[in-house]
Amino acid sequence: MRLEKCWFCSSTIYPGHGIQFVRNDAKIFRFCRSKCHKNFKMKRNPRKVKWTKAYRKLHGKELNKDATFELERRRNRPERYDRNVVQNTIKAMKKIEEIRLKREEKFWESRMKVKKENRADLEELKQNIHLVKAPVALQEDPTLTLPKKLEKVKVKVEMRQAGETHAMEE
Amino acid sequence: MNKTRLARLGDTIIASVKEVVGRGKVKKGEVVYCVVVRARMPRARSDGSEVRFDDNAAVIINKQGEPIGTRIMGPVCHELRRRKMVKVLSLAEHVA
Repeated sequence: MRLEKCWFCSSTIYPGHGIQFVRNDAKIFRFCRSKCHKNFKMKRNPRKVKWTKAYRKLHGKELNKDATFELERRRNRPERYDRNVVQNTIKAMKKIEEIRLKREEKFWESRMKVKKENRADLEELKQNIHLVKAPVALQEDPTLTLPKKLEKVKVKVEMRQAGETHAMEE
Repeated sequence: MNKTRLARLGDTIIASVKEVVGRGKVKKGEVVYCVVVRARMPRARSDGSEVRFDDNAAVIINKQGEPIGTRIMGPVCHELRRRKMVKVLSLAEHVA
């Protein structure tokens, strides 16, 4: 029993799932579900279809080059059954999976982190918050805090009425 | 051959030769036995997956199951192993 990868979306194909298409040049395409199969029949390039792993890795959305990927190679030579080897392999597989997931998470976090240009903007916002919200209001109501992420802050600019100023001057 | 059944991957069929290329062992209009080695119709496998080929192809065999020809082009299906068509499998370029 072998767990194959879908040619289109790169997900694992478990036994009992999917269709195998054999082209006349003897190249085998495996698909995990009819969605991928239909996309293939439409002659779509998985590198251009946004939900596939091929696209995500190509466009730097996901961890691309890592040592953990090299460990998952296709080995065609059958090994003689050795209980210890099997046990160690299973342990190693679990460990490698853990490490890979952690690395993928870190990759995602570094992608979602606030970038340097935004940092300068955040600093400016902190310094000039009095232009946006009255400092008294911030003190009184603790829920009015600075936004953690740089969101679009709607600034209401109140136009001073001309009549009032004249009255004050007089 | 049961006339009401439909042939699928790996089945043996009786066919008549419609077109001949060059001077071969078979002449046009002959009635021959052949085995289906590739079919566009998906066929279920024992592990639950399905196999589909790019075209429909058959290999002309004699009554003992040995191919008349000397070469087989393109991939053939695994189902032949179950039918004990060893010669066809050995001549094939690729067994899918």
